[in-house]
Amino acid sequence: MDIWDVRAFVYQHFADTTHAPSVDETARHFNLSNEEAGEIYKELNNRHAFFLEPETLSIRMANPFSGIPTDFKVHANGKTYFANCAWDMLGIPAALHCDAVIDAVFTKSNEAVQLEIRDGKVTNGELLVHFPVRFAHWYDDLVFT
Amino acid sequence: MLLFRSEEWVDKWCKRNHLEHGEILTINQVWELSKLWYGNRMSVDFHGRSIEQVAEVFKQAGLKSKFWYV
Repeated sequence: MDIWDVRAFVYQHFADTTHAPSVDETARHFNLSNEEAGEIYKELNNRHAFFLEPETLSIRMANPFSGIPTDFKVHANGKTYFANCAWDMLGIPAALHCDAVIDAVFTKSNEAVQLEIRDGKVTNGELLVHFPVRFAHWYDDLVFT
Repeated sequence: MLLFRSEEWVDKWCKRNHLEHGEILTINQVWELSKLWYGNRMSVDFHGRSIEQVAEVFKQAGLKSKFWYV
């Protein structure tokens, strides 16, 4: 087992359950101590494989999946996932290679909007996504990005 | 990355938050980018991307402005 097996487990756990595995769950899965699993979480966070809440071992983001509720709900494969942002709401069906219905909220106006991914195409193609930060600075403050 | 109905709403949001405009893409463009960026994310062999690989994804998605320089 190496750290990338843990990364794969975290992603599959998100796909299967819609939420992140705790350190305890990951430790049990790999027959590790909680301390060992926590160190691997920190290393994967440092490598941008996923992102922990500051000063914790809770996974906040394993892009495109969000570990916390957001304005971007993705209904796919009979489950409802939370995406981190307007890009990641499309990233979930892209990652899972499936159709999806997406309930989102417009920034500023707070109006609800529904989109659909069906047969590889997206509805409401005229909607816009604003990327506020240049790629070179995406990881300076990922929550803002 | 935030969702907007129109550029007018992006302008309002940027002014209110005292931010410069970033890059605005249509949902269709973001979907194409998503397939390139996230299509292999569930693979056990995905270990992240090199700078060169990131640049190639942006190039394939047609994102060529300075905003996307890596």
